[in-house]
Amino acid sequence: MNSLLVFILAIINGMLIDNVILSRFYGICPFLGVSKKTNSALGMGVAVIFVIVLATIITWPIYNFILVKANIQYLDTIVYILVIASLVQFVEMFIKKYSPSLYKSLGVYLPLITTNCAVLGVAQGNTDQGLSFIDSLANALGTSFGFLVVIFIFSCIRYRLETANTPKCLKGFPIALITAALMSLAFLGLSGIIEI
Amino acid sequence: MEVLYAFLLLGGLGLFFGIILSICGKIFYVKVDTRVENVKNMLPNYNCGSCGYPGCAGLAEALVKGEVNDPSRCKPCKKEEAEKIRNYLKENK
Repeated sequence: MNSLLVFILAIINGMLIDNVILSRFYGICPFLGVSKKTNSALGMGVAVIFVIVLATIITWPIYNFILVKANIQYLDTIVYILVIASLVQFVEMFIKKYSPSLYKSLGVYLPLITTNCAVLGVAQGNTDQGLSFIDSLANALGTSFGFLVVIFIFSCIRYRLETANTPKCLKGFPIALITAALMSLAFLGLSGIIEI
Repeated sequence: MEVLYAFLLLGGLGLFFGIILSICGKIFYVKVDTRVENVKNMLPNYNCGSCGYPGCAGLAEALVKGEVNDPSRCKPCKKEEAEKIRNYLKENK
């Protein structure tokens, strides 16, 4: 029971308190690029969840059972990139087959998940902090759900902003960036509500 | 020795993922309309956008779908090239 509680707390921590976009500033590119439509934002979020969680499940054993044993830990980044790139290729094939409309609306941002620093950041962070497999999984789940939640909220706000009476000089990206900054401030208010 | 491990690991992982992806490529194969690709190859491929579509691929798709009937919509396209595309689309309806 206790370990389950810690697991859930770690997920909430990654999702709300130490949010990947708004507190750690990873993955800003898809955050700004794909948040114009709610549907494509959700598709992006789900694709990122899939890639982050699977990347963690694959990279953790590779690091701890192969790289550490062979004493070649310095290869971690390039191995992670290899794993992530393959996963993204897989996701791309899958979406192209089963949801051509989502494939079109994600456009270039779908292959760009490869270079989404949130994915590499989670894999690298897990092994750098020496987390156990369960903790890494909790971190991956929390981080990726946090990504989904924030990109969803942001796309909803941007949808309303389209029709809002914004000053002409702020229309489009400027007001989106200001909104992102205000969201970041709002999420800062959540810091420290749980102590692990 | 460590260098050898590094080579083996990266080479092995690359090979492993390559094989898996090629299998997945077979499973998730999407049939694309080959006419779009052929028409795109007949266009000048400048991607100038003067036809109003994003790039030559966009115009090729529109031509095949019948949204645009006339290949001369493509400004840099020479007359004989446009004629070729017209004939191709007539033959492969």
